[in-house]
Amino acid sequence: MKIIGHGNQPIEERILESKTVNNVIKKLNYISISSRVARECINIAYGFFSPLKGFMNSKTLESVCQEMILPSEVLWPIPILLDIKKEEIDKKKLKVGDQIVLSYQGQPLALLDIDEIYQYDKQKIAQTVLGTTDEKHPGVKMLDKWNNYFIAGPIQLINEPKFQPPFDRFWYTPVQLRKLFKEKKWERVVAHQTRNVPHTGHEWLMKGAWFSANGDLSVEKLKTGILVSCIIGPKRVGDFIDEAILLGQQQLNDSSYFRNDVHMTSFVLWDMRYAGPKEALLHAIIRSNLGCTHHMFGRDHAGVGSYYDPYDAHRIFDKVPEGKLNIKPVRILEWWYCPICQEVTYSGLCGHTKERQNFSGTMVRSIIQDKVQPTRLLMRPEVFQTMMQSAEKYGFGSPFCNEKYLKQRQPVFLLSPIS
Amino acid sequence: MNKIPINIWINDQRYEKLSQVGLEKLTEEVLAGMKVLKIFCTEEQKDRLIKKFPKAKYDQSTTKSIELLPANFKDELFDKVIEKKSTNILSEVL
Repeated sequence: MKIIGHGNQPIEERILESKTVNNVIKKLNYISISSRVARECINIAYGFFSPLKGFMNSKTLESVCQEMILPSEVLWPIPILLDIKKEEIDKKKLKVGDQIVLSYQGQPLALLDIDEIYQYDKQKIAQTVLGTTDEKHPGVKMLDKWNNYFIAGPIQLINEPKFQPPFDRFWYTPVQLRKLFKEKKWERVVAHQTRNVPHTGHEWLMKGAWFSANGDLSVEKLKTGILVSCIIGPKRVGDFIDEAILLGQQQLNDSSYFRNDVHMTSFVLWDMRYAGPKEALLHAIIRSNLGCTHHMFGRDHAGVGSYYDPYDAHRIFDKVPEGKLNIKPVRILEWWYCPICQEVTYSGLCGHTKERQNFSGTMVRSIIQDKVQPTRLLMRPEVFQTMMQSAEKYGFGSPFCNEKYLKQRQPVFLLSPIS
Repeated sequence: MNKIPINIWINDQRYEKLSQVGLEKLTEEVLAGMKVLKIFCTEEQKDRLIKKFPKAKYDQSTTKSIELLPANFKDELFDKVIEKKSTNILSEVL
C-alpha cells in the first residue's frame, strides 16, 4: 500500500542496492559533498523531503523563493540545493546529462543525474527566504559560505548510513515511523521539535500539545502519541551535545514522566537555517511525511535574535491555503513557573503575571554549568543524571559543546566502503 | 565596598545546609524552587578572580555578575559559607 506524504504524493524511497551499482560507479566522476549536503541526500532518499526527488533546479528555486511553492504547486518554503565550486565543474568537465557520484567521508553516498548547472544570487535567496541579508543572521552566514554554482538533479542513495550508538536506537525513516505508529495504534501524532535537554517547561509544552491534539478523541483508549523529533545537525559551542538531548528526552519516557504507549523519541538530520516562519512550515512538512498529524509550535520557533516576531511562526499557517498541508499546527504560548500556584502553568491561563518565573535558558544553562542538580520542579532528577552521564561518556565532561567536542566527537553516522 | 555578585545556585539540599547555619534568608528564589545566594566581591577581588580564572568574565551588560567561574570553585565558595556561617568569605579563598 502506498504511503502518502506531503503534496498528497506517495513517499518513495530512492535507494539502490550498492551491489547493483558497484561496476557503474567506477566509471563516474566523484564529487565530495559537505556534511549538510550529505544530510540532505539522506533526507531526500528516505522521503523526509518528499515529494523532492533531488536537488532543486533554477526554476524550482525561483518558485520556492518567490512563491513558496514547487512548480507542481506543492507548498515548499526552503530551497534544497547542492552547491559546487566552478573549478570543480571545469576540472571534472561536468555537464547536463552526466551521472555523478556524491561522496562523503571518502565513501560513495549517492548517484546524481545532472539536470542543470547554474548560478543564482545568494543575496536574493537570503532576502526572500530569511527576510534579511544581514550577515549576522546565521542563515545568511551559512549561505555566504556556500559555493557560487549549483547542481540540480534527482539522486539515489547507494550507501545507507550506519548510525552510531546512541543515535542508532532513535533513527527511524518516514516509512519505519508510519509502520510504528500503526503498530502503536496512534491515530494522531503530535510532533515536538527540540534541540534541548528537557526541563519541566518543555515537558509541559509536550503535555499541552498532547491535550490539544487528542481533542475530541476517546480518552479511555488513548490513540494520540507524542513524537519527540530532535534536530541533529551542525553544532556551536554552548549548544547541548546531541547525545544528551536524545538520551535526556528518552529519559522522560524511561522514568515514566510520559507513558511509553503515548511517547517516543526520534530525530531528523537538519541544518537549521533559522528562517523563523518559513522554517516552521518546512518542519511541519517534514513531520507530515513522518506521519504526524499535528506539530507543536511554541514561542519563536526556528527564530534567532530579533529578526522575526516571536509568533510569526504561528501566523504563517493562517496563510497556507486549505488542503496544502496534511498536518495541523498546535500553537502554544509560554509555560512558566508560578510561585503563587506553586506549579508549572500556562501563560494563557495563569493570571499571576507579575510573580511569574520564566524558564530562562540562560539561567538553566548556568545552573547546569555549575553542576548543581536543579530542583525536581525545574528538571527531573533522572534527566539531570542522564545528561551528566552523557557529558562524561560523549561530551568530554560537559553537557554543552566545547571546542574538543566539535573537533573530536564521534560521528553520528558512518558510511561503509562499497565492495 | 563589596558590590559585585557571584551567583551561587541553591537547590533543596544546599538550602537545608544554609538553614542549619541560619543563612537561608539570604537566598532569593528565582525559578521553580531554585534559589540564588549572592556572594559579593570588590573591584580588586573581581580582577584577581578573572586573572585566576581566565575563562570567567564580568557580565556588565545583563546579569552584572561574575560568570563562568569553574563549578568546583563555586562549590568551594559554598562550603566556605557554611563553614564560616557568613557570606563574607572571598578573602579566605583568594
